[in-house]
Amino acid sequence: MDSSKDRILKIAVILLRVAMGGIFLYAGYVKLKDPWELFAAGIRDYEMVPNWAADLLAQTLPYFELLIGLLLVVGRFLRLSTVSVSALLVVFFSLMVRAFVQGKEINCGCFGPNELISWKTLVRDGSLLAVSLFLTVMAFRARRTSV
Amino acid sequence: MFALALGISLLGMAAGPDAVPGRTAGVPTAPLRMDLWGDYTCPHCKMLHEQLLSRLMADYVNPGKAYLVFHEYTLTGPGHEHSKTASLYAAAAARIGKYQQVSDALFLTQTSWAMSGKVWEAVAPALTPAEQKKVQALFKDPSVAAEVQHDLDLGNAAHVDRTPTIVLTHKGKQTPWSYWNDYNLFRSFVDTEMKK
Repeated sequence: MDSSKDRILKIAVILLRVAMGGIFLYAGYVKLKDPWELFAAGIRDYEMVPNWAADLLAQTLPYFELLIGLLLVVGRFLRLSTVSVSALLVVFFSLMVRAFVQGKEINCGCFGPNELISWKTLVRDGSLLAVSLFLTVMAFRARRTSV
Repeated sequence: MFALALGISLLGMAAGPDAVPGRTAGVPTAPLRMDLWGDYTCPHCKMLHEQLLSRLMADYVNPGKAYLVFHEYTLTGPGHEHSKTASLYAAAAARIGKYQQVSDALFLTQTSWAMSGKVWEAVAPALTPAEQKKVQALFKDPSVAAEVQHDLDLGNAAHVDRTPTIVLTHKGKQTPWSYWNDYNLFRSFVDTEMKK
């Protein structure tokens, strides 16, 4: 019974990990297919970092998202990739909540332009954060039990 | 031969939403098309109109790189009670070729009429008495109101979610831009897009 539950849990973790990886691959791709200035404008709208930092982030973050997405899909360096994805989502989600509470009508910047921050984007990113935290816990638990 | 020339000409055109005569700048065959959606009560639109539009014209429209099309994106709600009146006057003025003059006047005195509602008092000085009569008549023309509504519908269809927004069309691809705190970033964006 326990082994059956474990198997279901393992399959769920794999599915969630691949799905999360796919989402990050997509997020990186949609940002890279447009000029970086578009994402930079989105980051600047949050008014959290200086312009030079926003521009630097806009030119590097999509590649980082692609890398994390790839690692999650292929299942390598799981502790590192799950911690990274959770850290990123904690930052993204916090910034979005802050902007929403402040009443800023700005683009989320999550999957390219044309998506204003709303309850919908908050629920979506909150759910992604919950899943990433779960994957992080599972990555560390798997390592401990295998030792 | 004529058909070939016409075909080349049409291929070179930057496709995009309907352009209303009198509310455009530049040549329609420019490789880039910029559809600008704005509202006369929006402070950022005033800033764009008074501080950035001349730079945009000098950088892209005058050299023939871009075709600029103005659209009304009439805002509603508190602070925008007189938006529609202003949009109707501007659209009416476009019919007699006075769109830019009326736009200039509306933005120049925005803070005044947006509060008082005395929109006509802002528009009238930009027109001669004969033009004033024409614009007043056109203001009541249902086709002008329909045109303003059509512009709003076009904006929504192009995913405009705030003003001012320029939807850049290049090689069939439409990309909206609404960050105006740094013109250089916009210019970099347009130049990158044009290199594609």
